[in-house]
Amino acid sequence: MTTAPARHRTENPSLAGRFRPLEPLFKGMLLASLALAVLFLVVLLSYVVTEGWDRLDPRLWENFPSKLYPERAGAQSAIVGTIYVIALTGAFCVPIGVMTAIYLEEYADGSRWWNRMIELNIQNLAGVPSIVYGILGLGVIARGLDLGRTLLTASLTLSLLVLPVVIIAAREAIRAVPGSIRQASLALGATPWQTIARQVLPAAVPGIATGVILALSRAIGEAAPLLLLGAVTHITFNPSGITDSYTVLPIQIFNWTKQPEAEFHTLASAAIVILLFILLAMNSVAIWVRNRYQKRW
Amino acid sequence: MTTTSSRLSTSQGVPVTGRPGGAGPVQPTVVNDAVEGPFDLVDTVFEVADVSVFYGDYEAVRNVDMKIGKRRITAMIGPSGCGKSTLLRCFNRMNDLIPGTRLGGKITFHGEDLYGDHVDPIEVRRRIGMVFQKPNPFPKSIYDNIAYGPRVNGVKRGLDDLVEEALVGAALWDEVKDKLKQNALALSGGQQQRLCIARTIAVKPEVILMDEPCSALDPIATAKIEDLMQNLTRDYTIVIVTHNMQQAARVSHRTAFFTADVDREGVRHGRLVEYDETSKLFTTPSDERTEAYITGRFG
Repeated sequence: MTTAPARHRTENPSLAGRFRPLEPLFKGMLLASLALAVLFLVVLLSYVVTEGWDRLDPRLWENFPSKLYPERAGAQSAIVGTIYVIALTGAFCVPIGVMTAIYLEEYADGSRWWNRMIELNIQNLAGVPSIVYGILGLGVIARGLDLGRTLLTASLTLSLLVLPVVIIAAREAIRAVPGSIRQASLALGATPWQTIARQVLPAAVPGIATGVILALSRAIGEAAPLLLLGAVTHITFNPSGITDSYTVLPIQIFNWTKQPEAEFHTLASAAIVILLFILLAMNSVAIWVRNRYQKRW
Repeated sequence: MTTTSSRLSTSQGVPVTGRPGGAGPVQPTVVNDAVEGPFDLVDTVFEVADVSVFYGDYEAVRNVDMKIGKRRITAMIGPSGCGKSTLLRCFNRMNDLIPGTRLGGKITFHGEDLYGDHVDPIEVRRRIGMVFQKPNPFPKSIYDNIAYGPRVNGVKRGLDDLVEEALVGAALWDEVKDKLKQNALALSGGQQQRLCIARTIAVKPEVILMDEPCSALDPIATAKIEDLMQNLTRDYTIVIVTHNMQQAARVSHRTAFFTADVDREGVRHGRLVEYDETSKLFTTPSDERTEAYITGRFG
Protein backbone atom coordinates (compact mmCIF):
# COMPACT_ATOMS: atom_id res chain seq x y z
CA MET A 1 0.00 0.00 0.00
CA THR A 2 2.55 2.55 1.08
CA THR A 3 5.44 1.38 -1.07
CA ALA A 4 5.42 4.36 -3.41
CA PRO A 5 5.85 7.09 -0.79
CA ALA A 6 8.34 4.98 1.14
CA ARG A 7 10.54 4.47 -1.91
CA HIS A 8 10.27 8.14 -2.69
CA ARG A 9 11.50 9.02 0.76
CA THR A 10 14.58 6.81 0.57
CA GLU A 11 15.55 7.93 -2.92
CA ASN A 12 15.25 11.64 -2.36
CA PRO A 13 15.62 12.44 1.29
CA SER A 14 16.51 16.10 0.89
CA LEU A 15 14.43 18.98 -0.42
CA ALA A 16 16.88 19.56 -3.24
CA GLY A 17 15.21 20.15 -6.57
CA ARG A 18 15.56 17.85 -9.52
CA PHE A 19 17.30 18.96 -12.68
CA ARG A 20 14.57 20.45 -14.89
CA PRO A 21 16.17 21.37 -18.22
CA LEU A 22 12.93 22.38 -19.92
CA GLU A 23 12.31 25.36 -17.66
CA PRO A 24 15.39 27.45 -18.59
CA LEU A 25 15.15 26.23 -22.19
CA PHE A 26 11.60 27.48 -22.55
CA LYS A 27 12.41 30.79 -20.93
CA GLY A 28 15.38 31.15 -23.28
CA MET A 29 13.16 30.53 -26.30
CA LEU A 30 10.75 33.23 -25.18
CA LEU A 31 13.56 35.73 -24.74
CA ALA A 32 15.00 34.82 -28.14
CA SER A 33 11.63 35.45 -29.81
CA LEU A 34 11.38 38.81 -28.11
CA ALA A 35 14.93 39.71 -29.10
CA LEU A 36 14.25 38.79 -32.72
CA ALA A 37 11.16 41.04 -32.90
CA VAL A 38 12.97 43.96 -31.28
CA LEU A 39 16.03 43.43 -33.47
CA PHE A 40 14.03 43.67 -36.69
CA LEU A 41 12.31 46.81 -35.47
CA VAL A 42 15.64 48.43 -34.56
CA VAL A 43 17.23 47.45 -37.88
CA LEU A 44 14.27 48.78 -39.82
CA LEU A 45 14.14 52.07 -37.93
CA SER A 46 17.86 52.72 -38.06
CA TYR A 47 17.94 51.85 -41.75
CA VAL A 48 15.21 54.29 -42.79
CA VAL A 49 16.48 57.00 -40.48
CA THR A 50 20.07 56.81 -41.77
CA GLU A 51 18.91 56.53 -45.39
CA GLY A 52 16.53 59.45 -45.12
CA TRP A 53 18.54 61.59 -42.71
CA ASP A 54 19.74 64.04 -45.40
CA ARG A 55 16.19 64.90 -46.37
CA LEU A 56 14.56 64.92 -42.92
CA ASP A 57 14.13 68.65 -42.97
CA PRO A 58 11.25 71.13 -43.33
CA ARG A 59 11.35 70.84 -47.11
CA LEU A 60 9.70 67.47 -46.69
CA TRP A 61 6.49 68.88 -45.26
CA GLU A 62 6.66 72.40 -46.73
CA ASN A 63 7.08 71.50 -50.38
CA PHE A 64 5.01 69.62 -52.90
CA PRO A 65 6.29 66.74 -55.01
CA SER A 66 8.48 67.57 -57.97
CA LYS A 67 9.46 65.11 -60.65
CA LEU A 68 12.35 67.14 -61.96
CA TYR A 69 14.04 68.63 -58.91
CA PRO A 70 14.52 66.14 -56.07
CA GLU A 71 16.15 68.82 -53.93
CA ARG A 72 12.98 70.86 -54.05
CA ALA A 73 10.52 67.99 -53.73
CA GLY A 74 8.43 67.46 -50.61
CA ALA A 75 5.50 65.38 -49.50
CA GLN A 76 3.08 67.94 -48.16
CA SER A 77 0.15 66.83 -50.28
CA ALA A 78 0.75 63.20 -49.28
CA ILE A 79 1.03 64.00 -45.57
CA VAL A 80 -2.16 66.06 -45.63
CA GLY A 81 -3.84 63.40 -47.79
CA THR A 82 -2.88 60.65 -45.36
CA ILE A 83 -4.23 62.58 -42.38
CA TYR A 84 -7.48 63.29 -44.25
CA VAL A 85 -7.91 59.68 -45.37
CA ILE A 86 -7.21 58.25 -41.91
CA ALA A 87 -9.46 60.73 -40.13
CA LEU A 88 -12.32 59.99 -42.53
CA THR A 89 -11.71 56.24 -42.37
CA GLY A 90 -11.86 56.40 -38.57
CA ALA A 91 -15.01 58.51 -38.71
CA PHE A 92 -16.69 55.92 -40.95
CA CYS A 93 -15.48 52.63 -39.54
CA VAL A 94 -15.48 53.26 -35.77
CA PRO A 95 -19.20 54.02 -35.28
CA ILE A 96 -20.31 51.34 -37.74
CA GLY A 97 -17.88 48.77 -36.36
CA VAL A 98 -18.74 49.42 -32.72
CA MET A 99 -22.47 49.39 -33.36
CA THR A 100 -22.17 46.13 -35.30
CA ALA A 101 -20.20 44.64 -32.43
CA ILE A 102 -22.83 45.80 -29.91
CA TYR A 103 -25.56 44.22 -31.98
CA LEU A 104 -23.73 40.93 -32.36
CA GLU A 105 -22.71 40.71 -28.70
CA GLU A 106 -25.71 42.16 -26.89
CA TYR A 107 -28.73 41.63 -29.10
CA ALA A 108 -28.15 38.87 -31.66
CA ASP A 109 -29.24 35.38 -30.68
CA GLY A 110 -26.12 33.30 -31.32
CA SER A 111 -28.17 30.14 -31.72
CA ARG A 112 -29.72 31.41 -34.97
CA TRP A 113 -27.97 30.26 -38.11
CA TRP A 114 -28.04 33.63 -39.82
CA ASN A 115 -26.24 35.30 -36.92
CA ARG A 116 -23.60 32.59 -36.94
CA MET A 117 -23.21 33.05 -40.68
CA ILE A 118 -22.72 36.81 -40.27
CA GLU A 119 -20.03 36.12 -37.68
CA LEU A 120 -18.25 33.64 -39.92
CA ASN A 121 -18.34 36.06 -42.84
CA ILE A 122 -16.92 38.91 -40.80
CA GLN A 123 -14.02 36.70 -39.80
CA ASN A 124 -13.46 35.73 -43.42
CA LEU A 125 -13.64 39.35 -44.58
CA ALA A 126 -10.79 40.20 -42.22
CA GLY A 127 -8.60 37.93 -44.31
CA VAL A 128 -9.52 39.17 -47.78
CA PRO A 129 -6.52 40.74 -49.62
CA SER A 130 -6.68 44.51 -49.75
CA ILE A 131 -6.44 44.66 -53.54
CA VAL A 132 -9.82 42.94 -53.68
CA TYR A 133 -11.27 45.81 -51.66
CA GLY A 134 -9.60 48.16 -54.15
CA ILE A 135 -11.47 46.49 -57.01
CA LEU A 136 -14.69 46.63 -54.98
CA GLY A 137 -14.14 50.32 -54.23
CA LEU A 138 -13.45 51.08 -57.87
CA GLY A 139 -16.45 49.15 -59.14
CA VAL A 140 -19.04 50.00 -56.52
CA ILE A 141 -18.02 53.26 -54.86
CA ALA A 142 -16.06 55.12 -57.52
CA ARG A 143 -18.16 54.00 -60.48
CA GLY A 144 -21.40 52.55 -59.11
CA LEU A 145 -22.07 55.40 -56.68
CA ASP A 146 -20.28 57.75 -59.07
CA LEU A 147 -18.11 59.25 -56.36
CA GLY A 148 -15.09 59.18 -58.64
CA ARG A 149 -11.48 58.79 -57.61
CA THR A 150 -11.73 61.05 -54.60
CA LEU A 151 -10.78 61.20 -50.92
CA LEU A 152 -14.28 60.05 -50.07
CA THR A 153 -13.97 56.93 -52.22
CA ALA A 154 -10.58 56.11 -50.71
CA SER A 155 -11.85 56.54 -47.13
CA LEU A 156 -14.96 54.48 -47.73
CA THR A 157 -12.92 51.70 -49.33
CA LEU A 158 -10.38 51.67 -46.50
CA SER A 159 -13.25 51.69 -44.00
CA LEU A 160 -14.64 48.55 -45.61
CA LEU A 161 -11.18 47.04 -45.52
CA VAL A 162 -10.62 47.55 -41.78
CA LEU A 163 -14.21 47.24 -40.61
CA PRO A 164 -13.89 43.50 -39.84
CA VAL A 165 -10.85 44.18 -37.65
CA VAL A 166 -12.73 46.90 -35.73
CA ILE A 167 -15.78 44.66 -35.31
CA ILE A 168 -13.78 41.69 -34.06
CA ALA A 169 -11.75 43.80 -31.60
CA ALA A 170 -14.83 45.64 -30.32
CA ARG A 171 -16.68 42.36 -29.85
CA GLU A 172 -13.81 40.94 -27.81
CA ALA A 173 -13.75 44.09 -25.66
CA ILE A 174 -17.51 44.04 -25.11
CA ARG A 175 -17.47 40.34 -24.30
CA ALA A 176 -14.77 40.92 -21.68
CA VAL A 177 -17.10 43.15 -19.63
CA PRO A 178 -18.38 40.90 -16.83
CA GLY A 179 -21.99 39.83 -17.07
CA SER A 180 -22.46 40.73 -13.40
CA ILE A 181 -22.18 44.41 -14.36
CA ARG A 182 -24.96 44.08 -16.92
CA GLN A 183 -27.13 42.19 -14.44
CA ALA A 184 -26.55 44.77 -11.73
CA SER A 185 -27.57 47.55 -14.08
CA LEU A 186 -30.66 45.77 -15.39
CA ALA A 187 -31.73 44.79 -11.86
CA LEU A 188 -31.83 48.50 -10.98
CA GLY A 189 -34.40 49.12 -13.68
CA ALA A 190 -32.02 50.32 -16.37
CA THR A 191 -33.03 49.62 -19.96
CA PRO A 192 -30.75 47.47 -22.13
CA TRP A 193 -29.58 50.55 -24.01
CA GLN A 194 -28.83 52.47 -20.76
CA THR A 195 -26.87 49.45 -19.60
CA ILE A 196 -24.82 49.39 -22.79
CA ALA A 197 -24.26 53.12 -23.00
CA ARG A 198 -23.45 53.72 -19.33
CA GLN A 199 -21.75 50.52 -18.24
CA VAL A 200 -20.70 48.21 -21.05
CA LEU A 201 -19.25 50.69 -23.55
CA PRO A 202 -17.21 52.75 -21.03
CA ALA A 203 -15.75 49.53 -19.70
CA ALA A 204 -14.98 48.31 -23.23
CA VAL A 205 -13.32 51.54 -24.42
CA PRO A 206 -9.71 50.43 -23.76
CA GLY A 207 -10.16 47.27 -25.83
CA ILE A 208 -12.02 49.09 -28.58
CA ALA A 209 -9.30 51.76 -28.74
CA THR A 210 -6.63 49.11 -29.20
CA GLY A 211 -8.61 47.50 -32.00
CA VAL A 212 -9.26 50.79 -33.73
CA ILE A 213 -5.57 51.67 -33.67
CA LEU A 214 -4.62 48.29 -35.11
CA ALA A 215 -7.19 48.81 -37.84
CA LEU A 216 -6.15 52.37 -38.67
CA SER A 217 -2.48 51.37 -38.59
CA ARG A 218 -3.29 48.87 -41.27
CA ALA A 219 -5.23 51.45 -43.26
CA ILE A 220 -2.50 54.09 -43.06
CA GLY A 221 0.03 51.78 -44.65
CA GLU A 222 -2.19 50.51 -47.45
CA ALA A 223 -1.08 51.36 -50.97
CA ALA A 224 -2.54 48.52 -53.01
CA PRO A 225 -6.26 49.39 -52.99
CA LEU A 226 -5.51 53.09 -53.41
CA LEU A 227 -3.46 52.42 -56.51
CA LEU A 228 -6.73 51.44 -58.13
CA LEU A 229 -8.55 54.41 -56.67
CA GLY A 230 -6.71 57.29 -58.21
CA ALA A 231 -3.96 57.98 -55.73
CA VAL A 232 -1.27 57.23 -58.30
CA THR A 233 -1.07 60.61 -59.88
CA HIS A 234 1.47 63.21 -59.01
CA ILE A 235 -0.46 65.75 -56.91
CA THR A 236 0.91 69.20 -56.25
CA PHE A 237 -1.93 70.61 -54.16
CA ASN A 238 -3.57 69.75 -50.85
CA PRO A 239 -7.08 68.33 -50.89
CA SER A 240 -9.54 71.02 -49.90
CA GLY A 241 -12.60 68.81 -49.55
CA ILE A 242 -13.70 65.21 -49.49
CA THR A 243 -14.46 65.20 -53.21
CA ASP A 244 -10.94 66.29 -54.19
CA SER A 245 -8.33 64.05 -55.68
CA TYR A 246 -5.52 63.16 -53.32
CA THR A 247 -2.41 61.18 -52.69
CA VAL A 248 -1.16 59.44 -49.57
CA LEU A 249 2.27 58.71 -48.14
CA PRO A 250 2.55 55.02 -49.11
CA ILE A 251 1.76 55.96 -52.72
CA GLN A 252 4.23 58.85 -52.66
CA ILE A 253 6.90 56.58 -51.22
CA PHE A 254 6.13 54.00 -53.88
CA ASN A 255 6.44 56.64 -56.61
CA TRP A 256 9.76 57.94 -55.33
CA THR A 257 11.33 54.51 -55.05
CA LYS A 258 10.50 53.97 -58.73
CA GLN A 259 12.55 57.01 -59.79
CA PRO A 260 16.08 56.36 -61.06
CA GLU A 261 17.74 59.22 -59.12
CA ALA A 262 19.24 58.30 -55.73
CA GLU A 263 17.96 61.58 -54.25
CA PHE A 264 14.41 60.35 -54.63
CA HIS A 265 15.28 57.18 -52.74
CA THR A 266 16.56 59.31 -49.85
CA LEU A 267 13.34 61.24 -50.05
CA ALA A 268 11.36 57.98 -49.86
CA SER A 269 13.16 56.96 -46.67
CA ALA A 270 12.50 60.35 -45.14
CA ALA A 271 8.81 60.00 -46.02
CA ILE A 272 8.76 56.56 -44.35
CA VAL A 273 10.02 58.20 -41.15
CA ILE A 274 7.17 60.70 -41.39
CA LEU A 275 4.68 57.87 -41.92
CA LEU A 276 6.04 56.05 -38.87
CA PHE A 277 5.84 59.27 -36.89
CA ILE A 278 2.15 59.72 -37.74
CA LEU A 279 1.56 56.10 -36.75
CA LEU A 280 3.33 56.65 -33.44
CA ALA A 281 1.27 59.76 -32.75
CA MET A 282 -1.93 57.77 -33.37
CA ASN A 283 -0.73 55.02 -31.06
CA SER A 284 0.01 57.49 -28.28
CA VAL A 285 -3.55 58.78 -28.50
CA ALA A 286 -4.79 55.20 -28.17
CA ILE A 287 -2.58 54.53 -25.18
CA TRP A 288 -3.77 57.72 -23.56
CA VAL A 289 -7.42 56.72 -24.11
CA ARG A 290 -6.74 53.24 -22.82
CA ASN A 291 -5.11 54.46 -19.62
CA ARG A 292 -7.82 56.98 -19.02
CA TYR A 293 -10.55 54.39 -19.20
CA GLN A 294 -8.63 51.50 -17.69
CA LYS A 295 -10.83 49.61 -15.24
CA ARG A 296 -10.10 46.89 -12.79
CA TRP A 297 -12.77 44.52 -11.62
CA MET B 1 -53.24 29.62 2.52
CA THR B 2 -50.62 27.49 0.90
CA THR B 3 -50.51 23.78 0.41
CA THR B 4 -48.76 23.40 3.73
CA SER B 5 -51.60 24.83 5.78
CA SER B 6 -53.00 21.48 6.86
CA ARG B 7 -49.65 20.43 8.27
CA LEU B 8 -49.28 23.72 10.01
CA SER B 9 -52.43 23.71 12.05
CA THR B 10 -51.60 21.20 14.75
CA SER B 11 -48.18 22.01 16.06
CA GLN B 12 -48.02 25.79 16.25
CA GLY B 13 -46.24 26.56 19.49
CA VAL B 14 -45.62 22.96 20.48
CA PRO B 15 -42.23 22.58 22.19
CA VAL B 16 -39.41 21.06 20.20
CA THR B 17 -38.84 18.19 22.60
CA GLY B 18 -40.52 14.89 22.08
CA ARG B 19 -40.32 15.10 18.33
CA PRO B 20 -40.67 11.62 16.89
CA GLY B 21 -37.79 10.12 14.97
CA GLY B 22 -34.94 11.83 16.79
CA ALA B 23 -33.65 14.99 15.21
CA GLY B 24 -29.92 14.29 15.37
CA PRO B 25 -27.78 17.39 15.84
CA VAL B 26 -29.64 20.19 17.52
CA GLN B 27 -30.55 23.01 15.22
CA PRO B 28 -29.90 26.62 16.18
CA THR B 29 -32.57 28.08 18.36
CA VAL B 30 -35.04 29.90 16.24
CA VAL B 31 -35.85 33.33 17.53
CA ASN B 32 -37.73 35.69 15.32
CA ASP B 33 -38.95 38.61 17.34
CA ALA B 34 -40.27 40.18 14.22
CA VAL B 35 -42.88 37.51 13.67
CA GLU B 36 -45.93 39.34 14.77
CA GLY B 37 -48.74 37.05 13.89
CA PRO B 38 -49.95 34.21 11.78
CA PHE B 39 -49.13 34.36 8.13
CA ASP B 40 -52.76 34.67 7.14
CA LEU B 41 -52.84 38.19 8.51
CA VAL B 42 -49.96 39.35 6.33
CA ASP B 43 -50.61 40.89 2.91
CA THR B 44 -49.48 38.71 0.05
CA VAL B 45 -46.89 40.27 -2.28
CA PHE B 46 -46.17 37.35 -4.56
CA GLU B 47 -48.41 34.44 -5.24
CA VAL B 48 -46.75 31.59 -7.06
CA ALA B 49 -49.29 29.24 -8.61
CA ASP B 50 -48.19 25.93 -10.14
CA VAL B 51 -45.01 27.48 -11.50
CA SER B 52 -42.55 25.50 -13.58
CA VAL B 53 -39.45 27.05 -15.12
CA PHE B 54 -37.91 25.70 -18.31
CA TYR B 55 -34.52 26.31 -19.86
CA GLY B 56 -35.27 25.16 -23.38
CA ASP B 57 -36.68 21.66 -22.93
CA TYR B 58 -35.21 21.23 -19.47
CA GLU B 59 -37.64 21.75 -16.63
CA ALA B 60 -35.52 23.24 -13.86
CA VAL B 61 -38.31 23.81 -11.35
CA ARG B 62 -41.59 21.93 -11.25
CA ASN B 63 -45.05 22.87 -9.96
CA VAL B 64 -44.25 25.32 -7.19
CA ASP B 65 -47.03 26.92 -5.15
CA MET B 66 -46.21 29.51 -2.53
CA LYS B 67 -47.19 32.91 -1.19
CA ILE B 68 -44.74 35.56 -0.07
CA GLY B 69 -45.82 37.94 2.63
CA LYS B 70 -45.33 41.70 2.76
CA ARG B 71 -42.47 43.02 4.91
CA ARG B 72 -41.44 39.51 5.76
CA ILE B 73 -38.19 37.72 5.11
CA THR B 74 -38.82 34.57 3.16
CA ALA B 75 -35.91 32.17 2.88
CA MET B 76 -35.46 29.57 0.18
CA ILE B 77 -33.12 26.76 1.14
CA GLY B 78 -32.14 23.46 -0.38
CA PRO B 79 -29.25 21.61 -1.98
CA SER B 80 -27.48 22.88 -5.10
CA GLY B 81 -29.41 22.51 -8.33
CA CYS B 82 -32.83 22.48 -6.69
CA GLY B 83 -33.98 25.53 -8.61
CA LYS B 84 -34.28 28.02 -5.78
CA SER B 85 -32.18 30.68 -7.51
CA THR B 86 -34.00 30.00 -10.76
CA LEU B 87 -37.32 30.66 -9.05
CA LEU B 88 -35.95 33.77 -7.32
CA ARG B 89 -34.87 35.21 -10.66
CA CYS B 90 -38.42 34.80 -11.95
CA PHE B 91 -39.69 37.28 -9.38
CA ASN B 92 -38.02 40.23 -11.12
CA ARG B 93 -37.84 38.66 -14.57
CA MET B 94 -34.06 38.41 -14.60
CA ASN B 95 -34.55 35.02 -16.23
CA ASP B 96 -35.78 36.83 -19.33
CA LEU B 97 -32.12 37.57 -20.03
CA ILE B 98 -31.32 33.90 -20.53
CA PRO B 99 -32.47 32.88 -24.02
CA GLY B 100 -34.85 29.94 -24.05
CA THR B 101 -36.22 30.47 -20.55
CA ARG B 102 -39.94 29.85 -20.24
CA LEU B 103 -42.34 29.97 -17.34
CA GLY B 104 -45.32 27.70 -16.82
CA GLY B 105 -48.03 28.54 -14.30
CA LYS B 106 -48.46 32.02 -12.92
CA ILE B 107 -46.67 34.44 -10.62
CA THR B 108 -48.69 37.40 -9.47
CA PHE B 109 -47.36 40.55 -7.82
CA HIS B 110 -50.17 42.17 -5.79
CA GLY B 111 -52.58 40.19 -7.90
CA GLU B 112 -51.10 41.34 -11.22
CA ASP B 113 -49.66 38.69 -13.53
CA LEU B 114 -45.89 39.34 -13.61
CA TYR B 115 -45.63 37.72 -17.02
CA GLY B 116 -48.69 39.38 -18.52
CA ASP B 117 -48.41 40.89 -22.00
CA HIS B 118 -48.74 44.44 -20.74
CA VAL B 119 -45.98 44.07 -18.13
CA ASP B 120 -42.71 45.91 -18.76
CA PRO B 121 -39.77 43.98 -17.26
CA ILE B 122 -37.89 47.24 -16.76
CA GLU B 123 -40.67 48.51 -14.50
CA VAL B 124 -40.81 45.15 -12.72
CA ARG B 125 -37.10 45.35 -11.92
CA ARG B 126 -37.48 48.88 -10.64
CA ARG B 127 -40.12 47.73 -8.18
CA ILE B 128 -38.38 44.47 -7.32
CA GLY B 129 -34.65 44.90 -6.72
CA MET B 130 -31.99 42.24 -6.56
CA VAL B 131 -28.75 41.68 -4.68
CA PHE B 132 -26.42 39.11 -6.17
CA GLN B 133 -24.21 36.39 -4.79
CA LYS B 134 -20.95 38.11 -5.59
CA PRO B 135 -20.78 41.81 -4.75
CA ASN B 136 -20.89 43.54 -8.14
CA PRO B 137 -20.35 47.27 -7.72
CA PHE B 138 -19.88 49.27 -10.89
CA PRO B 139 -16.29 50.38 -11.49
CA LYS B 140 -17.27 53.90 -10.48
CA SER B 141 -17.27 56.01 -7.33
CA ILE B 142 -19.37 55.04 -4.33
CA TYR B 143 -21.60 58.03 -5.03
CA ASP B 144 -22.11 57.12 -8.68
CA ASN B 145 -22.90 53.52 -7.76
CA ILE B 146 -25.77 54.61 -5.52
CA ALA B 147 -26.93 57.36 -7.85
CA TYR B 148 -26.97 55.06 -10.87
CA GLY B 149 -30.40 53.56 -10.20
CA PRO B 150 -32.16 56.89 -9.60
CA ARG B 151 -30.36 58.37 -12.60
CA VAL B 152 -31.45 55.70 -15.05
CA ASN B 153 -34.95 56.15 -13.72
CA GLY B 154 -34.84 59.83 -14.60
CA VAL B 155 -34.12 61.39 -11.20
CA LYS B 156 -31.96 64.49 -11.64
CA ARG B 157 -32.44 66.53 -8.49
CA GLY B 158 -31.93 65.62 -4.84
CA LEU B 159 -29.42 62.91 -5.64
CA ASP B 160 -27.18 63.84 -2.70
CA ASP B 161 -30.02 63.22 -0.26
CA LEU B 162 -31.00 60.00 -1.98
CA VAL B 163 -27.43 58.71 -1.80
CA GLU B 164 -27.12 59.54 1.87
CA GLU B 165 -30.50 58.04 2.67
CA ALA B 166 -29.65 54.80 0.86
CA LEU B 167 -26.24 54.50 2.51
CA VAL B 168 -27.74 55.15 5.94
CA GLY B 169 -30.40 52.57 5.18
CA ALA B 170 -27.75 50.02 4.32
CA ALA B 171 -25.72 50.85 7.46
CA LEU B 172 -22.76 51.98 5.37
CA TRP B 173 -22.95 55.76 5.68
CA ASP B 174 -20.58 56.15 8.64
CA GLU B 175 -17.92 54.06 6.95
CA VAL B 176 -17.97 55.82 3.59
CA LYS B 177 -19.30 59.35 4.15
CA ASP B 178 -15.81 60.85 3.76
CA LYS B 179 -14.92 58.97 0.62
CA LEU B 180 -17.99 59.09 -1.57
CA LYS B 181 -15.88 60.00 -4.61
CA GLN B 182 -13.60 57.00 -4.17
CA ASN B 183 -13.86 53.95 -6.37
CA ALA B 184 -16.33 51.47 -4.94
CA LEU B 185 -14.01 48.59 -5.79
CA ALA B 186 -11.62 49.76 -3.08
CA LEU B 187 -14.16 48.76 -0.40
CA SER B 188 -13.99 45.41 1.38
CA GLY B 189 -16.19 42.55 0.22
CA GLY B 190 -18.73 43.06 3.01
CA GLN B 191 -18.83 46.81 2.38
CA GLN B 192 -19.26 46.17 -1.34
CA GLN B 193 -22.24 43.94 -0.65
CA ARG B 194 -23.83 46.55 1.62
CA LEU B 195 -23.13 49.07 -1.15
CA CYS B 196 -25.05 46.80 -3.52
CA ILE B 197 -27.93 46.73 -1.04
CA ALA B 198 -27.76 50.52 -0.72
CA ARG B 199 -27.74 50.80 -4.52
CA THR B 200 -30.85 48.63 -4.62
CA ILE B 201 -32.78 50.59 -2.00
CA ALA B 202 -31.84 53.90 -3.65
CA VAL B 203 -34.38 52.99 -6.35
CA LYS B 204 -36.99 52.60 -3.57
CA PRO B 205 -38.22 49.18 -4.58
CA GLU B 206 -40.87 47.29 -2.73
CA VAL B 207 -39.15 43.94 -2.71
CA ILE B 208 -35.48 43.01 -2.43
CA LEU B 209 -34.47 39.65 -3.80
CA MET B 210 -31.20 38.32 -2.41
CA ASP B 211 -29.42 35.49 -4.14
CA GLU B 212 -27.02 34.02 -1.56
CA PRO B 213 -25.90 37.51 -0.54
CA CYS B 214 -23.44 36.34 2.10
CA SER B 215 -21.84 33.33 0.48
CA ALA B 216 -18.75 35.32 -0.51
CA LEU B 217 -18.42 37.07 2.86
CA ASP B 218 -16.75 36.34 6.20
CA PRO B 219 -18.87 35.75 9.35
CA ILE B 220 -18.58 39.32 10.64
CA ALA B 221 -19.67 40.83 7.35
CA THR B 222 -22.43 38.21 7.20
CA ALA B 223 -23.67 39.21 10.64
CA LYS B 224 -23.81 42.86 9.56
CA ILE B 225 -25.86 41.99 6.50
CA GLU B 226 -28.21 39.84 8.58
CA ASP B 227 -28.76 42.71 11.03
CA LEU B 228 -29.36 44.98 8.09
CA MET B 229 -31.95 42.61 6.68
CA GLN B 230 -33.87 42.68 9.95
CA ASN B 231 -33.92 46.47 9.83
CA LEU B 232 -34.96 46.52 6.21
CA THR B 233 -38.15 44.55 6.94
CA ARG B 234 -39.65 47.76 8.27
CA ASP B 235 -39.97 48.93 4.68
CA TYR B 236 -39.18 46.05 2.41
CA THR B 237 -40.24 42.55 1.58
CA ILE B 238 -37.18 40.33 1.33
CA VAL B 239 -36.81 36.99 -0.39
CA ILE B 240 -33.46 35.36 0.22
CA VAL B 241 -31.89 32.27 -1.29
CA THR B 242 -29.27 30.82 1.01
CA HIS B 243 -27.12 27.74 1.29
CA ASN B 244 -26.67 28.46 4.94
CA MET B 245 -29.46 26.86 6.96
CA GLN B 246 -28.47 28.67 10.15
CA GLN B 247 -28.82 31.91 8.26
CA ALA B 248 -32.32 31.02 7.12
CA ALA B 249 -33.17 30.06 10.70
CA ARG B 250 -31.72 33.29 12.08
CA VAL B 251 -33.20 35.82 9.72
CA SER B 252 -36.34 34.55 8.08
CA HIS B 253 -39.96 34.45 9.06
CA ARG B 254 -40.88 31.74 6.64
CA THR B 255 -38.73 29.15 4.95
CA ALA B 256 -39.27 27.19 1.79
CA PHE B 257 -37.32 23.97 1.45
CA PHE B 258 -36.55 22.88 -2.10
CA THR B 259 -34.95 19.71 -3.28
CA ALA B 260 -34.25 18.04 -6.59
CA ASP B 261 -36.23 15.01 -7.72
CA VAL B 262 -34.61 12.68 -10.20
CA ASP B 263 -37.06 11.37 -12.76
CA ARG B 264 -36.97 8.09 -14.66
CA GLU B 265 -34.56 9.44 -17.29
CA GLY B 266 -32.18 10.62 -14.59
CA VAL B 267 -33.02 14.30 -15.09
CA ARG B 268 -33.15 16.51 -11.99
CA HIS B 269 -36.12 18.79 -11.38
CA GLY B 270 -36.35 21.26 -8.54
CA ARG B 271 -39.38 20.91 -6.29
CA LEU B 272 -40.79 22.74 -3.31
CA VAL B 273 -41.00 20.19 -0.51
CA GLU B 274 -42.19 22.23 2.41
CA TYR B 275 -43.00 25.85 3.07
CA ASP B 276 -43.77 26.98 6.56
CA GLU B 277 -43.04 29.30 9.44
CA THR B 278 -39.29 29.14 9.93
CA SER B 279 -39.66 28.13 13.59
CA LYS B 280 -41.92 25.28 12.58
CA LEU B 281 -39.86 24.10 9.61
CA PHE B 282 -36.63 23.92 11.58
CA THR B 283 -38.09 22.24 14.65
CA THR B 284 -40.96 20.06 13.55
CA PRO B 285 -40.77 19.64 9.80
CA SER B 286 -43.66 17.68 8.31
CA ASP B 287 -41.70 16.09 5.50
CA GLU B 288 -38.96 13.57 6.17
CA ARG B 289 -36.81 15.01 3.37
CA THR B 290 -36.84 18.37 5.14
CA GLU B 291 -35.87 16.71 8.35
CA ALA B 292 -33.06 14.80 6.70
CA TYR B 293 -31.75 18.02 5.17
CA ILE B 294 -31.89 20.23 8.24
CA THR B 295 -30.34 17.57 10.44
CA GLY B 296 -27.45 17.25 8.02
CA ARG B 297 -28.17 13.80 6.67
CA PHE B 298 -28.06 15.00 3.06
CA GLY B 299 -27.44 18.08 1.01
